[in-house]
Amino acid sequence: MASKNVKPEDFHIAVPTNEYTDDGLAEIYNSARVDYIVPMPMNGKRMRQYIDAYNINLGASVVSLDIEDHVPTGIIMLGVRGDRSWITRLGVIPVKRRRKTGQFLMNRMIEYSQTNNIRTIQLEVIKGNDPAKALFEKLGFEYIQELLVIRRPPSKLDESKINPDVIEVAEYENEGVYPFLDEREKYASWVEETQSLKNAGSLKGLQVTLKSGEMGWIVFQRSPFQLQHVVLQPDISHEMRVTLLQQMHIKYPLQDTKVENIPAHHPVWDAFCEVGYLETFRRIEMYLHL
Amino acid sequence: MSLIVVIEDNEHSARLASKLLRRAEFKVILAEDGETGLTAVFENHPDLVLIDLGLPDIDGQTVIALIRQQEELASVPIIAFTAWPQETAENMAQAYGCDGVITKPIEAREFANQIAMFLEQ
Repeated sequence: MASKNVKPEDFHIAVPTNEYTDDGLAEIYNSARVDYIVPMPMNGKRMRQYIDAYNINLGASVVSLDIEDHVPTGIIMLGVRGDRSWITRLGVIPVKRRRKTGQFLMNRMIEYSQTNNIRTIQLEVIKGNDPAKALFEKLGFEYIQELLVIRRPPSKLDESKINPDVIEVAEYENEGVYPFLDEREKYASWVEETQSLKNAGSLKGLQVTLKSGEMGWIVFQRSPFQLQHVVLQPDISHEMRVTLLQQMHIKYPLQDTKVENIPAHHPVWDAFCEVGYLETFRRIEMYLHL
Repeated sequence: MSLIVVIEDNEHSARLASKLLRRAEFKVILAEDGETGLTAVFENHPDLVLIDLGLPDIDGQTVIALIRQQEELASVPIIAFTAWPQETAENMAQAYGCDGVITKPIEAREFANQIAMFLEQ
């Protein structure tokens, strides 16, 4: 166990993640998160999708190794977009804990950001992971807001609740949805930013017209088994929000749906609830301004 | 002899679950990810599926949804096997059509009995 007089550097060395294969990174990450509140394991393929979708800089991201036996002690990844960076996939391997590994990894990411013209470092921590949150606060990160991760199992909509006033549903895909994304609300968490959606691909869009003349759009990613990254047009009525979600689930009734990082107090959450979404867990978004 | 498909990526949990179930004279097929698990379930039509909600390829919930969409598997008991907080795990399991939840870590003395009770139900 580390005493207060020793530095994190006394225990670890850092190796850039670009020296590992995707499978190798997934294995280290899974080992580090095995006992987390929500482990979210990955295989190599999923790791690669994550790296590509979220602009992970593998030269800046690191695996920490035990300074003595060179066995991995933890992992951390850094996404970079312009003058912002995003810390993610932080994990410390259980048998190697209590050696200031988390702080060692965080210091590497902060140092990289400081020397590469980054002005804001973003991260999210799962609500309830108090040791991690305390570490981030100690390093100067500030609370921004709570975010919801929500899901909806595939199920038939209650027909009596489907809005009968829909007169047209137009479909769009891939680049065809980009004009909609240009209109979206300014705020989105890193994984839901327009850049993330464009990187992830397989985008679909629906534009609905109601009898009243109100029009609205919804954009989402359709992967083989899931719908994800759901974005609704801003400044539309609650009725339109619910209708857009209904139309998406009418179109894809067999798809499981997962939506990440909706601000907990955003009015759109009411519409998701009305269509059968459930809260899975919460994250706390934190920023460090450099 | 009842057939249980255990879909679990954590090697330690999978090995322990398998050992306890075999000792209680269940036949066990182990699958370490969602895709292998789906194949095992579709090909073998087990008497019960025990599934971790966090899997490395396809989310556990999505795997459950895909199993439930097969008419011939609609009545197979599916038990969520997870370290998630109890309330979250139960809400999620119920929403996705699971028949119950067993929380990790495994209680070695109770585990096989818990599975037997779900099979009887």
